[in-house]
Amino acid sequence: MAMQADRSGIGESQAVLRISDLSKSYIMGEVQVDALKQVSLDFYAGELAVLLGASGSGKSTLLNIIGGLDTPTSGKLFFHGREITAATEAELTAYRRRSIGFVFQFYNLISSLSALENVQLVTEIAENPMKADEALRLVGLGDRLNHFPAQLSGGEQQRVAIARAVAKRPELLLCDEPTGALDFQTGKLVLDVIENVNRELGTTTLVITHNASIAGMADRVVRLRSGEVSEDRRNLTRVSPSELVW
Amino acid sequence: MKQLQRKLLRDLLHLKGQMLAVAAVVACGISVFVSMSSVKYSLEASRERYYSRYRFADVFLQVKSAPEFYRETVSRIHGVASVTTRITTDVTLDVPGLDEPATGRLVSIPEYRGAPVLNDLFLKKGRYIEPGKPEEVIASKPFLEANNLVPGDHISAVINGHKKELLIVGMGLSPEYIYEVQPGAFFPDKRRFGVFWMSRKALESALDMTGGFNDLSLTLAYGASEKDVIMQLDNLFRRYGSLGAYGRSEQLSDRFIVDEIKQVGIQITFLPLVFLAVAVFLLNIVLRRIVATQRDQIAVLKAMGYSNEDVGLHYLGYAMIPTAVGAIVGTALGAWLGRGLMNIYADFYNFAELVYYFRIEDVALSVILSFIAALFGALGAVRSAVMLPPAEAMRPDSPVIYKPGLFDREPLRHIMPVPVRIIVRNLERHQWKSALSVLMISLAVAILIAGRYTYDAVDRMVQVEFSRKHREDVTVIFNDPMPPSIAYNFASMDGVLEREFYREEPVRMSFLHRSRRQSIKGLESAVGLQRLVDKSNRQVNLPQNGILLTTTLADILGVRPGDRLQIDFLQGKQLHRELLVGGTIDEILGLSAYMNIAELNRLAGDGGALNAAYLRIDRLKGAQLNTTFKKMPGVAGIMMLKALKESFDELIARSMTTSTIILTTFACVLAFAVVYNGARISLSERARELSSLRVLGMTKGEISFILLGEQALLTLAAIPVGFLIGIALSALLARALSSELYRLPFVFSAYNFLFAFIVIVIVSFVSALAVKKRLTSLDLVEVLKTRE
Repeated sequence: MAMQADRSGIGESQAVLRISDLSKSYIMGEVQVDALKQVSLDFYAGELAVLLGASGSGKSTLLNIIGGLDTPTSGKLFFHGREITAATEAELTAYRRRSIGFVFQFYNLISSLSALENVQLVTEIAENPMKADEALRLVGLGDRLNHFPAQLSGGEQQRVAIARAVAKRPELLLCDEPTGALDFQTGKLVLDVIENVNRELGTTTLVITHNASIAGMADRVVRLRSGEVSEDRRNLTRVSPSELVW
Repeated sequence: MKQLQRKLLRDLLHLKGQMLAVAAVVACGISVFVSMSSVKYSLEASRERYYSRYRFADVFLQVKSAPEFYRETVSRIHGVASVTTRITTDVTLDVPGLDEPATGRLVSIPEYRGAPVLNDLFLKKGRYIEPGKPEEVIASKPFLEANNLVPGDHISAVINGHKKELLIVGMGLSPEYIYEVQPGAFFPDKRRFGVFWMSRKALESALDMTGGFNDLSLTLAYGASEKDVIMQLDNLFRRYGSLGAYGRSEQLSDRFIVDEIKQVGIQITFLPLVFLAVAVFLLNIVLRRIVATQRDQIAVLKAMGYSNEDVGLHYLGYAMIPTAVGAIVGTALGAWLGRGLMNIYADFYNFAELVYYFRIEDVALSVILSFIAALFGALGAVRSAVMLPPAEAMRPDSPVIYKPGLFDREPLRHIMPVPVRIIVRNLERHQWKSALSVLMISLAVAILIAGRYTYDAVDRMVQVEFSRKHREDVTVIFNDPMPPSIAYNFASMDGVLEREFYREEPVRMSFLHRSRRQSIKGLESAVGLQRLVDKSNRQVNLPQNGILLTTTLADILGVRPGDRLQIDFLQGKQLHRELLVGGTIDEILGLSAYMNIAELNRLAGDGGALNAAYLRIDRLKGAQLNTTFKKMPGVAGIMMLKALKESFDELIARSMTTSTIILTTFACVLAFAVVYNGARISLSERARELSSLRVLGMTKGEISFILLGEQALLTLAAIPVGFLIGIALSALLARALSSELYRLPFVFSAYNFLFAFIVIVIVSFVSALAVKKRLTSLDLVEVLKTRE
């Protein structure tokens, strides 16, 4: 079992993730996009952080770089003091395999695999995973194990995606617009699951969203605008997702 | 990685139509390779085995008659391992149940079956002849079977002018007659030609050749020079009317088998290559599409921590599994086809044992080759899956950069209705893919054309050989050269409308260092019953001066019209002459040299001789004439043109029909696979676009037109290209399959092109229908909702 989060103990010394002067620009069609401009941020063990920003603010890019899916144009990223930005392809794969859990806006389930098999896709390659059905039970889908994505509602699909992300007991859970494709009620249910995972397993969790209301459930709120950090504050009045309104 | 494998299998199942198409193409290629390789090996091995087990000779010699003690002399020649002498003769037969006369070759065998002899007999049924019973013979298997005769039946023959009743006691085969044809013929006529083995003693007395022989064969010692032995034999037997000794390469039966094996070898290389090329192409486009539609899945796998190798291997699986399925099906199909082909070969070639060897090496090689092809086809797509940066994979493909193309210029732009513009633009923007699609469909067309080309070629061959060249009904071949006065015998024959004689004189032709045994055919005219017609169906006349050579013979000798050939007559006065090459003729069959008979007589220095008669007969008196022929003395063989053509048609029909059916089926598979996959991929790429058009108010018919119109256009473009490739392929085939024995004429019937056109249109139509079903059942809302 991962360490139980000790919220009072969150501090500089326990920075899991250290981001310094990260920039990213890329070409999309015939346009150059500066997605990130010299972003510096630290995240701490057990923290639940919400990254807020409008579409195109660079939040997805930041998340992708943190998750080792993308490389920055310049700047550095450290995970437990190890420089991820200097990692080889194989090291990045190992990093994603061991330490990172991803949840995407469009769930990105493998449509040809059932809920259970989608989770097993991860547990098969992880080092000390939960049982796949246990992970699904954790997100309240113990009775939907053998359903295929097409047979599940959007909320259920997203919960499968969360189960898939947490089944490996990642140190870092990265959620990219997890409620973006969901209605209000279902979205809250999904956020509830994420908070639950964060609390129960002590997984450091980053949720990115354009929906400011979600910030209410976070320990910390970071706002991005045009690729730059425009706000970084601690949320002292954290509420449960069920109390969120938007 | 069980779940990843499960995903692979389920995805493959989902794409089963396309994957089956790929597997089918691979299966076709493998089955051709496996069947042809095994047939080639089986023929080679059966031949080797047969030759060594039944001691097939290395060098052969025919003389008029030589004393038996020469056997000793020959066996002392350096390099000779063993010698057998025999008496052979060709006779006219009266076969029960056969109206026309048949020809028999009598070959002597020892009365007692003791010491091993060369060209030994394989006794298939019945028994060996008994000593002291001169009437007993063993007959060749194809002849007996074709005439429904069995040991115990009788047959009569005119031997040396005397009619003799022969008792068939056995059914046999010999390595000398694996390809059993009448001398002077190219195609077997099993009913009207057979080989008969009978007692040496009986033949000696029947032919007045006691203490002599007229046929000698020998085997060479290891490392001996065939050329030296032949030279010594020629010196030794010149005065006994030797026509020159020759090795296996001039032994007709062996020649045919060696050619056949060579031809099978050619087919092994070219057909499977076409199929593998198409498989590479199909895997390439199918896999590219799979990777494109699974961008997000690739991203998520990588995000989960699957390595590039894992992802690469996973996508390679999409190529390897259908290839493996194709390999398994193709191997089974190839084994089955190979066996079937061997049965057809058994019709042509009479082996003591035609063993079908199905070799694991051939299977292994073809499977390895197809996996290499699959790897090659998949490489691009797999590489792009591996290289795809996961973050980029999350984003949809960036839109294709469209720029105005050739057809967007005024005034073309306004002439074309929008759906046509969409089609043209799409083809224009995927020029490479479109061009490759056209090429692949055209390969299917080309296989159809090349497959039917042999039909056309054989058709022309029949036309030239059986009707244009020969207008006679019967050819009577004499046992020995006859004096010109023999013509009167035929003149008085009731029912003979026209007659024409020719002389066939064996000579050795030399030019510089090249030389060849060859007979010169002296003709009375080149516009009479026999005509000289080349393979393009053009009539050729005898040159004013000198000799007319077939092109192939001229090439072998290295002469051109105007050169002077050295001629050594091998019989009679054995004069040496110099002769002008007056011209060449590109004939279909064999090697020939023609000249005016009077001139030939003059050169030979004798009073003239005739070897055969061409007769045109009154059909109404055919039966009566047949009876006369059956009793005619001094006749070595009688050939009936009509019967020859019939037996040829029958023989060719079976083998050609089989190979055409196979090739047509394979070409259909190829065309279907390419067109269907093309349309399916187009549909997958453009489902959103087409649905949008539907939402905007276009009918199902209109969007079908856009998608299928594109495929139709590709198919139509492929047809003329395929015609051209098919013609080129046929030219290659004609060239590769040509030998000294025959040259395939280069002809194409309109029917060939029409057939290919119709087959491809039908196949395209069927594959379009299969895709149209999916197209019209597009769920508009779903398609628009899902992220590309």
